[in-house]
Order: sequence, then C-alpha cells, then structure tokens
Amino acid sequence: MSSQLIDVVKRGGARPTESFQAEKLVQSILAACNSVQAPDGEAATAARSVHAAVLVWCDDKSEITSSDIRRIAAHHLKKIHPEAAYIYKHHRLVL
Amino acid sequence: MTTFDLFVIIIAAALIHASFQLSVSVLTLLSSHTLGAKRSQARLLRLTSSFASGVGVMTALLLAATAFTVSVFARHGIDPVLWVAACGLLFGLGFAVWVFYFRRDNGTTLWIPRGMARYLEDRTKATSLSAEAFGLGLGSVLGEVLFVVGPTLVAALALVQLPSEFQLAAVALYTVLSMLSLLIVHVLVSGGHKISKIQRWREDNKNFLQFAAGSAMIALGFYIYVDHVLTHAVLAAAGGV
Repeated sequence: MSSQLIDVVKRGGARPTESFQAEKLVQSILAACNSVQAPDGEAATAARSVHAAVLVWCDDKSEITSSDIRRIAAHHLKKIHPEAAYIYKHHRLVL
Repeated sequence: MTTFDLFVIIIAAALIHASFQLSVSVLTLLSSHTLGAKRSQARLLRLTSSFASGVGVMTALLLAATAFTVSVFARHGIDPVLWVAACGLLFGLGFAVWVFYFRRDNGTTLWIPRGMARYLEDRTKATSLSAEAFGLGLGSVLGEVLFVVGPTLVAALALVQLPSEFQLAAVALYTVLSMLSLLIVHVLVSGGHKISKIQRWREDNKNFLQFAAGSAMIALGFYIYVDHVLTHAVLAAAGGV
C-alpha cells in the first residue's frame, strides 16, 4: 500500500486524521538526532533507516495512529542511536 | 526573631523552591528543540540565558508582590496566626508533593494543569527569539505557582520582618538560590552536555527529588511552628514575653 494512502489518527483522536507524511517522520528523527548532537551523516543514515522500517511496518495497514508511528520509529531508532531514541520517545513526557 | 533566623528561613525556602522542576523541564525542552532545529550554540546560549532571566524576574516579582501584600495586611507586625497559616500551607503542600508532584508515567511529567503544560510545550517549540524565551521563563514560574506559593509565602513573611537595608539583598538571595537547579542545567547545556543524559538523570531520580521537596517543606513548616509559634506561646504562658 502506498504510504500516501495510509490514514494517521492524531494523538487521542482529538485532531482530524491526516495522511501519512514520510517527510514529517524523517524530520522528527533528524531533530532527535540533532538534539543529542549526532553528526549529520549519522543522523541522515538513522532517519533513512527508521523511515524504511516504518514503511515496511505500515505497508499492510490502512489506518495507524501517530503513537504507533512514534513507538515503531523509537524501537528501530534505539538499535541505531539509543540516545536519540530516548529523546524521540520521551519528548512529550518532559512537562 | 533575629536577622540571622530570618535569613535562615529565606535560604531554606529558596532551596525548597529550587527543588521544583517545571522551569528545568522547560529549559531542557527548549534546549532540545533549539539543538534539534540545528541552531547554533550561541543562539542556544542566548535563548537559555533569556529564559533563565525570565524565571529570575518572575520569581523576584512574585516574592516582592507577596511581601508587599503581607506588609499591607500586617502593618503592626506579623501575627502568629499568619505563621501558623504558612506552616499549614507548608505541611499541606509537602504531603501533596509527596503524593502528586510527578505523574506516575514514564518521563518527568508534572501534576500541573494539562492545558498549561500543553501551552508551555507549544510555546517552547515555537520559541526562536530571546524575547520569546524571556516570556517563556516568566510563564513557567506562573505554571508552577500552586507549588511555589508555600516557600514564597514563608520567605515573604520573613522578608517583611528584616531591617529595610537587608530586604533587597534578601530578594536577590532568594531569587538566585531558587534558580540553583535551573542554573546548573543551564551551565551543563551551555557546556555541551547531552540533553538526553540530563533528562535521563532527572527521570531516574524523580522519586528522590519529589521526596526531598516534600520532606523539606514539612521540615521547614515544623521548624517554623516550633521556633516561631510554639516557643512564643510557651514563653507568653510562662510570663517570659
């Protein structure tokens, strides 16, 4: 299934559903890597790798939640960059 | 009550204030977003310094405003009943902090109104100018006012009894000490320490921080009650005062 056809249910279902945007995922992984001062090349590799893993995971699904994406992405990012994965997973749990 | 006693109360109240974590959380998040957006270290330093300045200004304003209000209602000296009320507030808040301060989820989420937390989170993400960071600092103190009202009131009660030449120094001392934890994190972030390590330490030690903050409030309440309320009452009953 094309990633453009997958609906993403936003946090708690409070906000309208939107289609899956790979670029947003890549940017968020890059931001997490940058915030732990990972080198640019390492950040780009991690973002590409996590993006590919999430695409494989959501391939047979028509609807997923933003929490699912975060969980799966964090799981894969942890194997590549545990510090960035920690920030990625916990940034909504700081305040 | 001697000037030394009053300064001890102000210092203890300021250190309790320093153990509250909202400003530290916002600073951590602000640093994380700033680094995540690949802004320079100089920009990070400007933003975090402006944020810390905002926290300092609001803390000083809050203490001064509370002291002014106390002085209006207690023109002829502090009635012991005010100290009793302050002790009650410290005991109540101390127990509340033991039970409620950090939420039981992962991370360092606090028992502050969720609307306020979301607002601060969104503002932190959107902050890119020093003036915005300064405003965020002001707001983060207000977001936690429910908890800091205890130490602030006690410090204000002590402040109004100080000789006037010491009052400004006491406000400055309270402000600086209450920002101690924030300043430590500020120095660590500015020195290039990883945000993830700082946040992980905070998460690992959050139960201790919560216990220490609650216990310190109860201990200060107990000290004030014994030293400023009970002792006076006993001496008065014995005809010594």
